[in-house]
Parts: sequence; C-alpha cells; structure tokens
Amino acid sequence: MADTVRVAVLYGFGINCDHETKAVFEMAGAEAERIHVNELVNGDKTLADYHIMAVPGGFSFGDHLGSGRLLGNRLRFGIRDMVQDFVKAGKLVIGICNGFQVLVKMGLLPGDEEVSLTQTASLTLNNTGHYEDRWVHLEFDPNSPCVWTRGLERIRVPVRHGEGKFVTTIDANLDQWAENGQLVVRYVDSNDAYPSAGDELLPFPICPNASMRNIAGVCDPTGRVFGLMPHPEANHSTWLGATWTREMPEHGEGEGMAIFHNAVNFAKENL
Amino acid sequence: MSGLPVHLIEVTPRELPGLQDTRGEGIRSMLSADHGLSVGKVRSITGYQVKSNLDSGELLQSLQDLFTDPIIELGVANKSFLDDNSLFPDQPELAIMVGFKPGVTDNAAQAALDGLLTLFPKQSNAQIATTMTYLFWDIPSGTDALWLANTLHNPMIERAAMANAEHCSNAVWPQLPFPERPVIAFAPPATIDLEVDDETLIKISEDGLLALNLEEMQAVQSHYRDPVTQATRETLGLPPAAPTDVELECLAQTWSEHCSHKIFAAKIHHVDTETGEDSEINSLFKTHIMQPTLDMQKRVDWLLSIFHDNSGVIEWTDDWSLCIKAETHNSPSALDPFGGAMTGIVGVNRDILGTGLGARPIANMDVFCFGPPDYDGDLPGGLFHPSRVLRGVHAGIRAGGNESGIPTVNGAIVFDDRYIGKPLVYAGTVGIMPRYLPDGRESHDKTSAAGDIVYMLGGRVGSDGIHGATFSSLELTEESPSSAVQIGDPITQKKMVDMVLEARDAGLIQVITDNGAGGLSSSVGELAELTGGAELDLGAVPLKQPGLSSWEILVSESQERMTVGVSEANIPAFEALAALHEVEATAVGVFTNSGAFIVKHGEATVAHLPMDFMHDGCPQLNLESEWKPPVHDNPNYPTVDESEMGKILQRILARPNVASKEWWVRQYDHEVIAQSVIKPFCGVNHDAPGDAAVIAPLHGDTRGAVVACGIVPRYSDIDAYAMTAASIDEAVRNAVCVGVDLDKIAGLDNFCWPDPIESEKTPDGRFKLAQLVRSNRALDDVCRAYNLPCISGKDSMKNDAKLDGKKISIPPTLLYTVLGDHQDVRKAVSSDFKDKGDAIYLLGETHQELGASELSYMLAEETGGGIGNDVPQIDTTRNLTLYRALTAAMDKGLVRSAHDCSDGGLATAVAECCFGCDGATTINLDALTTNGTDGWGILFGESLGRILVSVKPEHTSEFEAAMAGNALANIGMVGDKKTLKFTLDGKPILKANLSKLLASWKDTLNMGGGH
Repeated sequence: MADTVRVAVLYGFGINCDHETKAVFEMAGAEAERIHVNELVNGDKTLADYHIMAVPGGFSFGDHLGSGRLLGNRLRFGIRDMVQDFVKAGKLVIGICNGFQVLVKMGLLPGDEEVSLTQTASLTLNNTGHYEDRWVHLEFDPNSPCVWTRGLERIRVPVRHGEGKFVTTIDANLDQWAENGQLVVRYVDSNDAYPSAGDELLPFPICPNASMRNIAGVCDPTGRVFGLMPHPEANHSTWLGATWTREMPEHGEGEGMAIFHNAVNFAKENL
Repeated sequence: MSGLPVHLIEVTPRELPGLQDTRGEGIRSMLSADHGLSVGKVRSITGYQVKSNLDSGELLQSLQDLFTDPIIELGVANKSFLDDNSLFPDQPELAIMVGFKPGVTDNAAQAALDGLLTLFPKQSNAQIATTMTYLFWDIPSGTDALWLANTLHNPMIERAAMANAEHCSNAVWPQLPFPERPVIAFAPPATIDLEVDDETLIKISEDGLLALNLEEMQAVQSHYRDPVTQATRETLGLPPAAPTDVELECLAQTWSEHCSHKIFAAKIHHVDTETGEDSEINSLFKTHIMQPTLDMQKRVDWLLSIFHDNSGVIEWTDDWSLCIKAETHNSPSALDPFGGAMTGIVGVNRDILGTGLGARPIANMDVFCFGPPDYDGDLPGGLFHPSRVLRGVHAGIRAGGNESGIPTVNGAIVFDDRYIGKPLVYAGTVGIMPRYLPDGRESHDKTSAAGDIVYMLGGRVGSDGIHGATFSSLELTEESPSSAVQIGDPITQKKMVDMVLEARDAGLIQVITDNGAGGLSSSVGELAELTGGAELDLGAVPLKQPGLSSWEILVSESQERMTVGVSEANIPAFEALAALHEVEATAVGVFTNSGAFIVKHGEATVAHLPMDFMHDGCPQLNLESEWKPPVHDNPNYPTVDESEMGKILQRILARPNVASKEWWVRQYDHEVIAQSVIKPFCGVNHDAPGDAAVIAPLHGDTRGAVVACGIVPRYSDIDAYAMTAASIDEAVRNAVCVGVDLDKIAGLDNFCWPDPIESEKTPDGRFKLAQLVRSNRALDDVCRAYNLPCISGKDSMKNDAKLDGKKISIPPTLLYTVLGDHQDVRKAVSSDFKDKGDAIYLLGETHQELGASELSYMLAEETGGGIGNDVPQIDTTRNLTLYRALTAAMDKGLVRSAHDCSDGGLATAVAECCFGCDGATTINLDALTTNGTDGWGILFGESLGRILVSVKPEHTSEFEAAMAGNALANIGMVGDKKTLKFTLDGKPILKANLSKLLASWKDTLNMGGGH
C-alpha cells in the first residue's frame, strides 16, 4: 500500500515524450520524476525507489540500427540487474512508442516468467515505409491480465511512428501470447461493433503499420509490464482529440488517461 | 589508428511471410512514382565498415547484440550475402552501393559506434562508416544504370559503386573503401597584403569566397592603414599593416549579407515612375520594420525582446514567455536537399535554444517553395528535378523535427517554375521559456559579465560548413563548394537541448547563443558586444580532425554547437551536467571588456579586431530603385456550362498550390509534447485542411497559442505591395479562423528576394529593389493597422541561380508568420463544416479581383492569355473590424466552423469545408454580386479579408447581430449531398461530384514511395 506512487520517467539520448509522460502520471495522482538513464547507470539513482518505470516515446539514438535497440542495450547491459529486480518485485513498467520498441528489443516484452531479457519479437518499418502521425482506434482484450488496461474497451489516440509493425517469426509464439492475454491492445475499425479485435490483418490506415494480428501493444505474462506503439499520453485532455471540435464534449480528461489511472491505482493498492 | 583492420558487416531483412524489405520496396515505388520506371524487385543490404581491433568473438557478439535484429534481420561479418545462393538464388541485374564521402556526417555510423562502446568500452579508437547496397531485378531494358545510380545518391556528399549485369553474373560486387579523412597539414595564418589596386582587392574577395564588394574591401584596407591600429598590432606580434587570413575571414563573415543584412540597411534612392515620387530611404529595416514595432511597443507591455536576440520574445502568461524565429536554408537545400533542410530546421531550433538564457523549442513551422513536382521542361545542368528536391527537403525536415521531438504544427508548400533554380526552405520554431528563473533573473535577458568563461558545447569543429554564410550571399553556380553542405545530427543536439535547459534552470548560464552562420566568429564576436570584448583560444577548440587552420576553426559552421558564457563559480556544476548528458563542453575563451575581439591559437595571437570596427565598420550600401508597374494581358475566360465549371474547380483543386499536402504532412510528428489542439487536419475523416495551429503547451491548462502563416508569391508578378499585404492578411486571417486573441499577436517577416542590386548580371536590379521597397511599405502599413509588431525576421537576398549560362530568379517572396495568444483553447474553431442544417456565411467583401489568382495562372497555362492586373487590394480597417467581431462571436460559442478564403477562391474554400463533413450542398451566390463581380470573380477571385463560417441554426440571429456592420452573406446550409452546386440568379453555374473533387485534391501530391 503506497501512500505516494512514485514514477521514474526515463529520458536522455533522444527520448522526447518525457515531459508529457511525467505530466499524465501527475494528473493521475502520482509523483513523477524525470530520470536520466545515466543517473541509473552511474548509481546516482536507483529504480528501487520507484513503483513505476516509464520509458517514453521519442527517437532514442535516432532509431539507427533499428528503433529502440541502442537504448535497449544501454539498459540491458548498463542496468540489467536493476531492471530485472524491479520487474521481479512486481513493479509496473510501461513503454510507449519508442519506449515500447526499447522494451521489445531488450526482451522485456512480450517477456517471460524468468525476466531473461531475451528478444522474441520485434518492431519493424511500417509497410508504408515511412513515419506517420495519425489517429487510430484501439481495442483492449478484456481477458488480459494487464493491470494497465483494466476496464478499457476502446480509445482513440494517435500513432506517431515509422517502425511500429509488430512481428515475430514463430507463429506459435503469437498463439501462446494470445492465449495468455498478452496481445492486450489491437487496432480496430471503429465502424465494427465492439468487440471486434481479430487476427486478420486490417487494411491501412485502420491498422497503420501492418502489424501481425493488428497488434498495437503487448504485456508480459504478469500483466505488469506493458508497452504499446500508440500514444495514450497524447490524449490526456478532451481538447487534444482529433475531432473534438465536431463533438462538443464536456471538457476534461482525455481517453488516454484511464491507462495511467489504472497503473497508479494498482500501485497504490498493491505496491 | 589507420593501422586498424576494417571489418565488413552486412545486414539484410529476412524474407518471411508477413515480412518485407521495406527499404527496397520504398526505392521501387519511388522509381515508379517519380520516374515511371517499373522495376520488378529491389532489395537492400545495410553495410557497416567497422574499423577496429575486435577479435572474432567480439565481432560475433556485436553482430548478434548490436548490428542485427535477431527476429527480422540476417547479418554476416566479413563475407557477402550476395555469394550466398540460398539467400539470393538469382543474381541481381544491378547492384549499387552508396556511402558517404569522407568527413560527411554519418549519423547511423555514430549511433553504431556508440552502441559498440556500450558493448566494448575499450574500443574507444574504433571508427565506423555505413553503406547501403540496393539490388535490382527485372529492370526495364534500356534503363541507364548510371542514371539510376545518380538517382540514388548525391555526389556532393556521397560516393557510389556499381556492379552491372556482367559484374553481377561474375559475382563481382560493388565495394567502397573506408571513407578516410584526408590528412590535412596545418597551415599557419597567412598575412593578406591589401596594399594592392582595386582590381586585386576584388580578386582577393572573389577567390576567397569572401563576398565583400570593393567599398567593403577598401574599408578593410583603410583600417590597416590607421597608425593606431598599426601600433596596437605591433605590440601583439601581428602584422601591423595587413590583416591575417583569420581577421579577413572573420570580417567577411560578420559583414556578409547573410549576417549583416546590408541591403535592408542600405541607403536607397527610390523613384516611382507612376506617381513621380523621388525619395531617399535610409534603411528599409529601420524605417519600415523596426520603427512600426517600436511605436507599438509604446502601447503594449508584452514585447519583451525584439530584434536583437536570436528570436523575438513576447510575454504570454504571467509565468511564461513565448519566442519565435524563422530562417531560410535555400542554398544548402539546393545542393543537398536532405542535409540542407535538416540543418535548416535544427539550426533554427538552436536559435530558440540560444534566446535569452535559453528557451525550449515547442513547435516547428516549415514552408517550402519548389518547382512543380511534375515539371517536364528543360532542367539546367547541376539542378535536381523538383520532385527530388521536394522528397529530399521533406525527408530532412521530417528527420530533423521528428528526431528532435519538436512537432511540426504549421506550414505550406508553394510551387512555381522559378523556384527550380533556387528552392526556398523556410524553417521556423516557436519556443517557450519561464518568465523568470528560480534565481529571479528574467530568462529573456542575457546577463554576461567580463570574466565569464566561453564554453563551446555540443558537436566538434570540422572542415564541413566552411563558408556557409558568405556562400549564401552569392549566386548559386556550378562551382558552389561542397564544404558548405552539412547533414544535421538531431540526437547530439537533443542531448545538448536537454542539458542546456537544465543548466538554465539551475542558474548556470550567463549568456548563450548558437553557432550558426559564421561559426565561432559570429557567436563569440556577437556576444562580445555585450561585455565589450572577448578572447578566444582556437587551440582549445575540439576538432573532428587535426590540421584545420586557424581561420577554418573560427568560421566553420559545423552543426550542433552552442556558445555559452558561464561564470567561474559555476564551472564545476556546468561541466558535471554536461558529463551526465554526454555532451562535450570545452572552455575556449573568456569574455572581456578590452574593446576588442582577440583570437589566439595556442600562444600566438592570430586576430585582433576592435569591436567597433568589426560591428560598425562595414560601409553602408547606396542603391538605386525604380518602380514601373508591369502590365499583363487579361486571362481568356472560356464559355462553360455548370458541369464544365465543375471540372474547372476540379482542376483548381488538383493544382499543386491548392492540392492536399496530407501525404507529406502526415509524415511530420505534429503532436509530440501532447499540446496539439487544432491540428494540420480536421474533419470527420481527418483529411480537411486546418487553417492555423492551436497549441496548449502547459499540460492540463487551457491557455493556448496560435501559429499561422501567409505566403502568396504569385501576386509579386503584379505588385509586391499587394503580395505583402495579402501574405500578412492571410496569416492574420488564418489565426482569426481558430479564434486568436487579436490583442496579442506578433509577427515574423521572412523575405526571400532575387538579387536587387543593379549590376551587369542583374540589369533589372532597380525594379527588383523597387519591389522590395513596395513590399516594405506594405509591411509597415498593414502591421501598423493590425497592431501586429514584427518581433523577428530574416532576409535572404540572393535567390538567383545561373546555370548553363541561364539566370533564374525567384519571384519576390515573403513568408509572414503570426504568433498569437489564445485565451481558452476549448473555444478554438476548426475549418470543417459540422452538422447538416448549420447556416453557411461568407464574411467580407468579394470584388472582381482575379489578377494573379490561381485561376488566372491556370487559364494562362491552358488557354494562353495573361494573368490580369486586378490583384486583390487590402482594406485593413474593414478587415480588422470584421476579424474582431468574428473572434468575439467565437468567444461566445456562436461559430461552428471558420475557414480562410484564399488560394482558389470561394469555390475552393467551400469544397474544403465540405470535405470536412463529407457532405456537399448548394451555395447561392446572389448576395455576392454587389461589387461588380461576375461568376468567375465570385467563385475563384481571391479578395482579401474573407472567411467562410458555419453557425448552428439556433444561433444565426445572435451571430448576425454580433457581426452587424460587417459584410456578411448567408449563402447556404451545410448538407449531406453528393453533388456540390453553386447557383447565381437562380441558375446553376457550377456542379461537381464531391468525391471526385476530393480525389483530385488528394491525388496530385500523393507521391507514393517510401524514401
């Protein structure tokens, strides 16, 4: 039972959504702090002091050698034990966009019980071949163990990436992850009635990157480590929606905030 | 180091179900889209040339953990995939390998090196270079392989090697050697003898790419004749009566048109043949830009920092200030579209970072002017086809903005044949800074003192980027130097931005500026004005390669560098912060009050320039201007029925200037920072055009800022006064459409002109200068009327190209950008029509003003005839009254949509609003004939001050009352029809299928290709 939920929002080396990621955790009632990756590597700070680690979006190392790989290596080789201890302690991790790429490339997602940091999936170039910023509809698996997405059905948020196509080379992996509820969030057609998430690849731009099985994000087997390509933190307020001027909403929190509330509430009650 | 072996690593995507070689596919589709060349298959192999003493075990580990993604890629070391029959059973028909030339920034290689050091920290002397190899199958016969290679690389910065069909069949694959930087022998400073005749003075300037004219060379000459100068120099061990090359280069940078804006500072003799005016203007800048703003500063309290810093600063809220700046990067973008544009955007980001004590860049604006992408006319040698310029510039802006985490919120792309010679690349940035720092200082003021240490921060100095400032002050020729071209490194810069802003908040910065044009000579030289001097040691400056001479280090424009003044007490904290962020920070000098800029290289003094001579010694230009209005033929208007008129609208919508830019704009991140309220696109399908950006940069807060722009170079063909008035009005109008607070709007003027100085090579210089005079007068008139102070700006005055003996000058072009306040973003308005039944109004007066309109240009191209002479005129009082009434109505929640009526006229604006709700309607034009207009004028005329709005039926009377006294016409209702109709006098005059209009609008610039 944490009175104050403390969030470590990593930054440095081209991460660039650190300020808004810090802001959404604060809006959700947590105490969030931007931590430079080197402060962890140098030992000036330790993840043990936090309940949640967030790896925000950005362009760490310019996406060279594959998005997320180089920052993933900095974490995998620089603070391997600290990350493994954090996850094994049942604490929460989120990777958004480039942060998701980092978690996948370092093997934390889809991950395994042992937290072995073995890469089993990847995120590669969108089939269009280029970066795009566009809004998508996401649908969540109600049977997932993911603590970040409890109670969510559908939300609208933007994708902003060039390498968001979730792939793996072993089909059985996908089946296993699906069975575990790890394929927690997928792109869907808003014209289809809820629930509609399916394995058959939806056309561009409904599935903006041709991800296998329309996967937008996954969690680890415990449901405490979660990552996704779209940006829930970019829809923190109603006035940031793509079509809000048509809808004349009652203004307040945006559709992306539920994810952060879930995590902060979970941490408050369980950590 | 040169003894280290080079290991070759190859990486290629796996071919499995659901996976593809997207890079290869991107090349294939680009060749098809841009060149109509249909190639069967393209594959790609990324190469890393790793120069290091890795042992075989380390090499294998680096292959697995660094270079190759184990899921989606295959990698090999020191052998070639192409020899592996299982991977490539069929030999390719052509293989082209591309790599960078020595010394060119290779960001992927830098990242790879960083990654290698993460794995093997002891490999600190390793070097890496990257290559990309493209393999082709099923190439149409007759395809010129050399042409294909040239399409895939830019010889200015890249090398290519090729294996043709015969090579491929013999398994002889392309190879490139490691790009070793040539060893440079250090040349000590030279003394330049200026006791020569005038002809030789000019030759010295031309041969040295100094871009100084005779009078300026003579001013330098006379400085060194001064006995006081000579006595001082003697004591310092400098040649007493002649400059060193270091001094001459430093003066050339400081006095360059690029840095000192000599044309805007010139004394102009202006004659108007129409009115008989014969007058003298002492500095267009002081008279028409600075004075109006200074006058306005007396009336408002929010103009915090204008004209003197890297960007203009306004107070936004009690706690935060905003700043804004736009630059052009035209010449570099002509030579290397990708690198030129990228350094343009990351360069202007540094202007923001270097404002006051440092501001955070939060929004980019990018406006381009290019030749038509489908241009099929003659292309002078040495020029890239406009489609390649467009792709390259766009990719550079995309990489620079996206990788820096700065959203691109606003922009435009304008097309005209005359930009083929010199594309214009305007890159602008908005920044935010706290009004006060924790230590109480106002963050927009620099607070340096003599004794502060000069730090160079960020990248190192290399031979790249030498003569950028003086080169951009010259015409583009075949001999343009490749050293003026650079590629940006956004990640190095991002690390520096993070570090600088933390240093600012910790109170560690006394003064900061960026290293842009002119490098250290400009940055330290300009900051030295604040304390009255500086001493710089070039020997302390970290270099990319040894051997650079003193003047090269001083003027090199190598990217990603800031110059920062730090007080001695703060040195440890400042250096510790730099180390944490892995940013190189080097003390290279000290600010003084000696009255001189002194440059040493180790022990030796290599330059001594008195501050007053350096900054005030450049003689004022005297220029001649003569206005004689051009006369154009009128367009030939065809006789058409309503369906044919519909086709005309369809063709207008398909014109590149009007067509949707969505395919390009979507590739910019416009939402990072999570502040984007009104986005580039709106509407039910997210594809209707936004007028201006609204951002809410304080997370959770509803206070906003508006960014809008206006640019209409077409009108310069009739009158640059009208062009300028229209550009400013368009920018303001766009801002009004989203609900800007008109009590706090500030402007940026960015002039791009052809050389307006009469000379042998510019016989029409007087006319071009008169265009500039008229443009400035319009700026003065309109900005005063709109209470719109210009807080920053820039001019680029040599936008001519001479290639194959043919001179191409751009049309005089002004980009006007407005930054405004928005009191409550929840009241912001978007352009898309909302609900069926909402009333549609056209606000503002429509006149018969088709001169230089998009329609006139189209008709001139299609049927001959001219562009007419009735260019839209401005009535600022009428417009401002209307704008104020409209924003007040928006504040009351009475307006459902608002869209600027400009390029392509009312018909275009209506179509775009209909795209937003995916429904067409019938528009009744009867109320718009009061000013002697005909159907052409009403449908396609571009009269200023007009806005198309929609209003809920229950709000119409309240809205009409709010707009009382302003021109307003109820012209229809929002509908859900498939056919868009316009009627006049009860008869349909235009009829078109909305989905066909949409397709035409979207298709023109949907270029395909993933490169």
